[in-house]
Amino acid sequence: MSETTKYASAVAAVKAMENTLLNRSDMEQLINAASKAETEALLSSKKGTFETNAETVWNMIRDYAPDCRETEILLYKNDFHNLKAALKASVSGRTAEKYYIRPTNLDLDKLSEDLGSKNYDALPEHIRATASEAYDILVKTSDGQLTDSFIDAAALAAMQKSAKSFGGEFMRKYAELTTVCADIKTAFRCSKMNKQKNFFETAVCGSESLDKDSLIKAALGGTESLLGFLETAGFGEAAKLLGISGAQFEKWCDDIIMELAETARMRSFGPEPLEAYFIAAEAEQKNLRIISVCKEFGADRETITERMRKLYV
Amino acid sequence: MNSLGITLAIVGAVCAALFAGIGSARAVGLVGEAAAGVVSVDPSKFSKVLILQLLPGTQGLYGLLTAILMLSRVGVIGGGAVELTTAQGLMFLAASLPIAIVGYFSAIAQGRAAVAGVGITAKAPEHNGKGIIMAAMVETYAILALLVSILLIYNIAI
Repeated sequence: MSETTKYASAVAAVKAMENTLLNRSDMEQLINAASKAETEALLSSKKGTFETNAETVWNMIRDYAPDCRETEILLYKNDFHNLKAALKASVSGRTAEKYYIRPTNLDLDKLSEDLGSKNYDALPEHIRATASEAYDILVKTSDGQLTDSFIDAAALAAMQKSAKSFGGEFMRKYAELTTVCADIKTAFRCSKMNKQKNFFETAVCGSESLDKDSLIKAALGGTESLLGFLETAGFGEAAKLLGISGAQFEKWCDDIIMELAETARMRSFGPEPLEAYFIAAEAEQKNLRIISVCKEFGADRETITERMRKLYV
Repeated sequence: MNSLGITLAIVGAVCAALFAGIGSARAVGLVGEAAAGVVSVDPSKFSKVLILQLLPGTQGLYGLLTAILMLSRVGVIGGGAVELTTAQGLMFLAASLPIAIVGYFSAIAQGRAAVAGVGITAKAPEHNGKGIIMAAMVETYAILALLVSILLIYNIAI
């Protein structure tokens, strides 16, 4: 069957599974629950035995569309996080198991083994060069923060590169938006911490929508200069929210990714609805974590509602 | 005896059955893929998605009907094949084209619409009928093409 009608079966299965995602009314009930225990009981009655955690959803997507390479880009952030954990564990002689995030494209045992033996050529292509460079940075500078920032920026660059090389329009936009959000966040934090230019150069990735050099130049001038630059660069709302609170900016980031996911929801073919469902499942988990934490600390209804991410269904 | 005339008529009958049949096979297969995806998650929706899968199969039947009518008209079925001139043979060939071409493309288009209908059934089974109606709309053009093919077959003077 041609490319334009690919993954008909997987997309139809995903559409059937979308019914298991929590909708607005379900979320309202969870928010209105009197306690964390009541929230958990309600959640269990709504979800039953059907799990929509990222790993289950990922395994399902791989079962239905095992040849869909571009969906792997969705896990790059986990892959690079795991690289960070494995690298630090390798240098410090500890085990990284409890710091790993799943699902991941990496064979985690092999990752530890290859990093331990410095056999970088055996690593998957998308993390190979980063692993070697990050190791050098870590042993030369012993600066964990710099190494983390380097790996985070490399993850974004790898996402953009892979999306351009074998991803579709949806995945290219996803990589672009993810990079924009991460770059703004990094630039703002580094600007507040009065970091030097070379740190910015390592930590900021850059994208077509947000030029790296211009962003660094603005951030070096202070947070006001950065917010002013973001307004002129077409990210006025992000700048406004960043000026109010980091939490609201984080919500904006998640919401624009969800808006992108919604564009794929109506399609009947292609990998986009599968990717959108994975994004939706991740967002649902995030919302449930927000509710759970807020309930634990006794936050009021308004506070929880304000923090809730946009829903897919 | 001019055998080219009858050969062209037979080629016409083959085209009608072949292209409309290929279109239907591809489309029914495509909807079947989508239907299987839904049934793998929720087997109770089998009967609802089965109707959608059957819809693009009709073009293949129209192609078969056209081929039988044409072969019967020129006497290949029923014995005593009539002698046709090259011009008459070409006319029969032309008569097969509406259902051959429209049948092929409308089956594919209907298959895509039916897959979208499977999506509706998956998410909102109570709106399954709307998905069926949307996919069935494409059928109109296959029926029109069948009508033209039949009118031509019965009005070619032999």
